[in-house]
Amino acid sequence: MTVININNLTKEFGDLIAINNVTLSIDEGQLFGLLGPNGSGKTTMIKMLTGQIRPTNGTAEILDVNVLNDPIKVREQVGIIPEQETPPSFLTAEEYLEFVGSIRKLDNIKKLSEKWFNILDFEDQKNVLCKDLSRGTRQKLMVAQAFLHEPRIAFIDEPLINLDPIIQRTLKDFLLDYIKKGNTVFFSTHVLEIAEEICTQIGIIDKGKLLHQGPITELKKKKQHLEEFFLKLVKEG
Amino acid sequence: MVFGILKIMMKEEWRLHTSLFGNRMFAFFPLMIGTGTFIASMFLPYIQTIMTTKQMLQSAHYLFILFGVTIGTFGLAGKEIMNRRFGQASLVAYSSRSLPVSERTIFLNFLIKDVIYYVILWIVPIIFGLILASLFIPVNTTSMLLVCATLILSFLIGLSVVFFLSTLYAHSSKLLIALLLLGVVVFVFFIKYYNLSMATLLLPYSIYYNPSLKKFLLILFLVFAPSTLSLLFLKVDYPEKKRQYKNSLTDLSNTFKFSTHSYYIAKDFLDLKRSEGGLGKIIFSFLFPIGLTWFFLYIFLEIIPTVKAIMIFAVFLGIVSASIYNMLTAFDTFNPYMFLPVKVSTIIKSKIISYLLISIISFVILVFAAISMNQLEWFIPALSSFVTISVYSLSMTIFFAGLHPTILFYNSKIFAQYVSTVCPLLFVFTIASIVDPYLMLASPILLIPTLLVLKKSYKKWDKWTPLNI
Repeated sequence: MTVININNLTKEFGDLIAINNVTLSIDEGQLFGLLGPNGSGKTTMIKMLTGQIRPTNGTAEILDVNVLNDPIKVREQVGIIPEQETPPSFLTAEEYLEFVGSIRKLDNIKKLSEKWFNILDFEDQKNVLCKDLSRGTRQKLMVAQAFLHEPRIAFIDEPLINLDPIIQRTLKDFLLDYIKKGNTVFFSTHVLEIAEEICTQIGIIDKGKLLHQGPITELKKKKQHLEEFFLKLVKEG
Repeated sequence: MVFGILKIMMKEEWRLHTSLFGNRMFAFFPLMIGTGTFIASMFLPYIQTIMTTKQMLQSAHYLFILFGVTIGTFGLAGKEIMNRRFGQASLVAYSSRSLPVSERTIFLNFLIKDVIYYVILWIVPIIFGLILASLFIPVNTTSMLLVCATLILSFLIGLSVVFFLSTLYAHSSKLLIALLLLGVVVFVFFIKYYNLSMATLLLPYSIYYNPSLKKFLLILFLVFAPSTLSLLFLKVDYPEKKRQYKNSLTDLSNTFKFSTHSYYIAKDFLDLKRSEGGLGKIIFSFLFPIGLTWFFLYIFLEIIPTVKAIMIFAVFLGIVSASIYNMLTAFDTFNPYMFLPVKVSTIIKSKIISYLLISIISFVILVFAAISMNQLEWFIPALSSFVTISVYSLSMTIFFAGLHPTILFYNSKIFAQYVSTVCPLLFVFTIASIVDPYLMLASPILLIPTLLVLKKSYKKWDKWTPLNI
């Protein structure tokens, strides 16, 4: 079943075409990695798919909901980890999760928060103000808020960058387990090793154009390294 | 190096605003202020029929002191400019931590930059408008130039004194209270034993009529001494300590259970409480000007006993109260909500409720003012006037600037729209209050269009793409 359906999506910022006529569909149970150099349009794509910014042209449906028509419904159903971690400065980590839980109308917020404090190992930081948390801990908090309501789809933008190797491993294992349960992850990164390790499907984007889309197994069958393939594709444009 | 930082900060401030709404809209802002002052000044001959020139000048000096007071809270900024003042925008003040420059130097540059911007955006255009008007109305241009100079001095005194008081507050609120009490005692002593009038103590005003070197030096002392002391004792927040709190959100949101936005309101109150600067801003940008206005009106009551001071106070309180909304939104850009299922209108609605709750302070102030001015008979009309102005100007702020009044009001087009919808009302209310306070009992009729404006605002801002700040 297709859970993310993108048709001729375009985003222009003045003269700059950030996303250029992208068409793409992703089935449930996939861990889709959107790969591209810095400034290639990965974050813009995630923002459009989650209704944070409006496309200039084209449509996108997430779980059969048109993002343009009902962005709030889309954000109710999905979890999002933004590129820059932005928990409110003057709430503690625990209060922030409770706050997100209240927005998402969750019943057992305390229990769910505790679960994530344990998984990501930051129980000892739960009473610290978000502004005083380290970048890594703030990133953990953003991971927790995205998965607190157990969404069917998660959009995550460079989620592993500030995390230590132990938590990176924990999160990778969590994501692999998460898709096994039939959930879907749309994941953007420019760290190719991570994509090669965990993604089931990849898309390569450069200067707003989708240059390639397909299962990662295709490359493995051809015994081609992702890095080599990526560099060749981007250079050829 | 020192001026290098200042130059970069000046550029940064310019780009921060122009990147949001374009060079022209930002550059037109001072032009608009100047034009507004020019138009208002053309009415001076008419105002002279109800006030003497001396009374007008005295009022203008009080207003400029107040203006300085409302923007002089730099002492609190030491805690925030080193962090991120505008949401995600990383400013030079923040990134300079990694440079071999002391934070005091960075702050000094930040302070100079802010003062220069305020002078360019507000003071110079006002002065320009006044001088231009003096060519068309029967006012001596040389006298007007001198008035402008003394008005600038009033502005700087207000700014410098509050800079010092806010610095003191950043160190210890008890120290501030002690100093304020001492100040009141010294003030009363001077008034009683030396039999000095307020006009004499208002030095920039006094120097206009009786120029003397002694007074001028005293003014310079009042401008530079508090600022220098503040810079020397500036408190900068070093992120050495991780502040920890037990979960208060649950209990606080239960207190606000009457609203569907209880969690957002609880968050607003925690922001104000924990951000130190937040509570300080309410004290210095709201309570302090209100206190001063109260005090100035006392003096006016002596000068013009026929004016119903409580009615004028209610008008002023209404417009200053609306600034609480600016403080509430200063902590909450929409960025932390963008990836959550939250509408902009939800945040706006919650801010309105937080605003109304904090406005209880304004209500209490109005009650005390009515009692202390012995004008309780006009309390109900004053209350009507206050509520209507406060809610009306809030609705206009929301309609034109949504969640970003402190930034979008520097867009000359938006500010012009706001001013053209709020100022005529203020003018009518002030005149009506003087003519017959009971006319204000009809003012709540305006709440109907106000609610319609709010409804329209929700739709408008829900369609809006959040500012990238």
